[in-house]
Amino acid sequence: MSAPIIWILIPFVIGILIFFLADEYAPFIGGGLSMALALIALLIPIDTALLLGSLSIKISTSIEVLGRSFILSTADGMLLVMIYGVASLWFFGAYAANNAKRFCSLGLMIVALLTASIAVEPFLYAALLLEMAAMLVIPLLIPIYQKPGRGVIRFLIYQTLAMPFILFSGWMLTGVETSAGDLGATTQVGAMLGLGFAFLLGVFPLYNWIPMLMEEASPYVTGFLLWALPTFTVIFALGFLDRYTWITTSPQLSSAIQFAGVLMTATAGLFAAMQKHIGRMAGYAAIAETGLIVLAMGLRSTEVVNLTFLLLIPRGLELAVWALSLAIIKRKVYSLRLSEVRGLARKYPIAVFALLSAHLSMTGFPLLAGFPPRMGLWQELAGQSLSLSFWAFLGILGLLVASIRAMAVFVMAEEGTAWSINESWMHILMLGIGVAGLFLVGIFPQVLQFFLASLPALFEHLGR
Amino acid sequence: MLILISSSILFVAALALMILRMMQFAPRTVWLVAVSGAMLALGSVFLWLGRQPLVLALPAWQPHTLFINPILFRADGLSTPFALSLAALTLAVLLTAAVRSKFTNSYTWAGMLALGGLGILAVTADNPLTLLLIWGALDITELITQLRSVSGPENNEKVVIAFSTRALGIGLLLWANIISIANQSVFNFENIAPASGLYLVVAAGLRLGVLPLHLPYSAESTLRRGFGTSFRLVSAASSLVLLAHIPPESLYSSVTPAMIILSVIAALYGGWMWLRAPDELNGRPYWVIGLAALSVISALEGNSIGAVAWGCALILVGGALFLSTVQNIWLNRALLAGAWSLSSLPFSLTAGAWLGGFKFFTPFVIVAQALLIAGFIRHALRPAGRDSLDDQQVWIRTMYLSGIILLIAFQIVLGWVGWDGARSIGAWLQAIFVALLTAGLVWATPRLRILTPVRAHWVRSTTSGLNGIYRSLWAFYSFLENITRAIISTLEGESGIMWTLLFLVLFISLLTQGR
Repeated sequence: MSAPIIWILIPFVIGILIFFLADEYAPFIGGGLSMALALIALLIPIDTALLLGSLSIKISTSIEVLGRSFILSTADGMLLVMIYGVASLWFFGAYAANNAKRFCSLGLMIVALLTASIAVEPFLYAALLLEMAAMLVIPLLIPIYQKPGRGVIRFLIYQTLAMPFILFSGWMLTGVETSAGDLGATTQVGAMLGLGFAFLLGVFPLYNWIPMLMEEASPYVTGFLLWALPTFTVIFALGFLDRYTWITTSPQLSSAIQFAGVLMTATAGLFAAMQKHIGRMAGYAAIAETGLIVLAMGLRSTEVVNLTFLLLIPRGLELAVWALSLAIIKRKVYSLRLSEVRGLARKYPIAVFALLSAHLSMTGFPLLAGFPPRMGLWQELAGQSLSLSFWAFLGILGLLVASIRAMAVFVMAEEGTAWSINESWMHILMLGIGVAGLFLVGIFPQVLQFFLASLPALFEHLGR
Repeated sequence: MLILISSSILFVAALALMILRMMQFAPRTVWLVAVSGAMLALGSVFLWLGRQPLVLALPAWQPHTLFINPILFRADGLSTPFALSLAALTLAVLLTAAVRSKFTNSYTWAGMLALGGLGILAVTADNPLTLLLIWGALDITELITQLRSVSGPENNEKVVIAFSTRALGIGLLLWANIISIANQSVFNFENIAPASGLYLVVAAGLRLGVLPLHLPYSAESTLRRGFGTSFRLVSAASSLVLLAHIPPESLYSSVTPAMIILSVIAALYGGWMWLRAPDELNGRPYWVIGLAALSVISALEGNSIGAVAWGCALILVGGALFLSTVQNIWLNRALLAGAWSLSSLPFSLTAGAWLGGFKFFTPFVIVAQALLIAGFIRHALRPAGRDSLDDQQVWIRTMYLSGIILLIAFQIVLGWVGWDGARSIGAWLQAIFVALLTAGLVWATPRLRILTPVRAHWVRSTTSGLNGIYRSLWAFYSFLENITRAIISTLEGESGIMWTLLFLVLFISLLTQGR
């Protein structure tokens, strides 16, 4: 059997089948399948014969579909572990979200399509697959009978606008490669490519759909979207940087990437500090985190790959815990405005603690998962530019202010309100695992080294 | 390894207490285990003395290229007195718990032991990364414990604001790290960039409530004598230790005199309020501010031994006083040894506190120190509001007395042996002025109306937002909020996409112009 069939086709087909199952089984099938796929990727190396007694198992690397190849090599193994491992958390967590069946079904299909985006050759076709995945997100965000809100429409517009820019720049890049000294063409391609990724990753001010979505759609689904799309877009972008090394060696383009990242982090942090809606705060925090990843990608350093994945892996955990807590809280309150969630810490202490842990983790609070990647980022960034470090630091400070505001409102219960646990045992279990993971990664980030050590092999030039 | 053993003993004892509590063992058995654990830990810290410096390096974070500094602990002439003080405080808190009405709360004892363990790790942290992690652990523990112990929206809000000032202190330490890296320095205490030094002082000052002057926590918490004392003093020690590690050469700046002035104001205010506090527990925040400010002044003078001396005095002298709940005339007199420890007289605990020489702020420091000592004497001799020890069982009486005497004995012992500042003559002339002024204040306190205890004070808890600094900060925040709201509503409104595209065009034209 070939790797693309296992990690792309099977989850896609099972995603379709889940749609016909009962609601209560979907999270376990979706989560179980993802977990199994992560374990297979962990235990069975791709393209290596494995002898089990007299039985020889070998997962081949590629298949061809309509003249296009889908290739998952040995180096992709750890990436698949990471992707399906985090995806399983989301699917198990769907138990707490509304309409788990639709979430798991479409979610699995989206993850499969996104996995295809990192496997497809020629790699420019990834833009098409990303667009298909973005389209599949729409029925996840809004029920069929409901009119789409402004956030959903903007999301679709921006994701769709990204595709022509990236495809066009890919076509132009072949020309630039043959005439490497043409500065004009290089700048044009850089601008075109930058625009494509600006739309995909939601660079300032193209991210305004994110807080809007957090307000109008299910926070759990939006959280999943904020994990899945940027993660694969970042991998896609790293592929670009790896193939066209002149992008990172060009000081102008490298600075532009750094500037875009800092702008995202600083503005999102500042906006988060001024919010009165905890869902929107989460949205801005996700944007700020994406900004840090963009900043890491723009560094002129051999640590680009390590740092990017060091930021990317905890992000999945943080967003999962945050979105699940928001989903639990949203079931109990009319809206996620600060005025509505006042004093909720005494009624839902586990959900609130988990939410605040995820939020503090994104601010880089010591002991939590977000702390080590930020320390690594400062180590590289401060040596290159103190002013960029200052603005990124300011953005993170904004996130901290937001977390303190949320915390203050959550704990301001009326006199005499007793502490009580109203979350279900399943919620407690899932949030407990998530929060434990945040602390584990925060105290022992070397556990991620298992994944990080092999990830640079995905790229030929980056990080060398 | 000994560092790990000492802190592990406390953590294991805490865990054992939890298990014993779950298995419903008798409170006396549980207490005995707690005291045994604390005794063992104190004994193990004593073992450090003959083997200094001790270094404990935990497995380094990976990838090594990104995480240059390992998690490192070090016991030396500066951190050992802190560790000894904290281990003694933990044991004393448990010993004196025997007389308290809430004797059976073994979860609280487990908390005290764990806190002692964290405190020892904090004071031995040998680089900012390690200190950041321990600060994080202390802050989260304090946040959860305080939130569980207070009631009502205002008190809960105060706890969160206290947490926020500590988190800002963490932020400043991180910023100092960034500055240090930008100056091509490795961020450890030995090779710190000169530009980072002042940020470290402000980080510690912010967490202690000295720079800027504020009350970092509320006095209304129900955690009062035992756990409350432990919390306040361990937390203060974890910040004070940073001051001891700042290299003097990194403090030569034009801003330093201004920071000294702010610290002197904090010391005077802390001393004044401490002297006039109605009782020692209500005055505790001012005690911490006053002594922490003296420690900050020592650090700003480049005197790390002085910073440690004030820190140890804060823990040992304050600990003995705050744990005294029982009226006993001999014990009250013994507590007065604290006045000696605070006096800076030769061979006292704080003898090395001042480098000597007359500086522009010296008279103010003398006044602040005298106010603190006079307040201490007043609170130590105050008979009202304390229970009697006479109706207690003999073993309880013995345990209680030994707890208080342990802290008093440590004040005297640390003046003589065990660290870099022991057996020091110090600035004896300055100490004599302090002693004379203290005597005058003690005499005048019952006679002058202005020195009589009051509750009202002009620096309120940080929540009030009523004083100028906080009011202007809030105004600035509201101003930013209005601007942000305008930008967000423009970008998210009907014409948002047009504005967004316009911004993009601007961005691209800027980029292409710069080619």
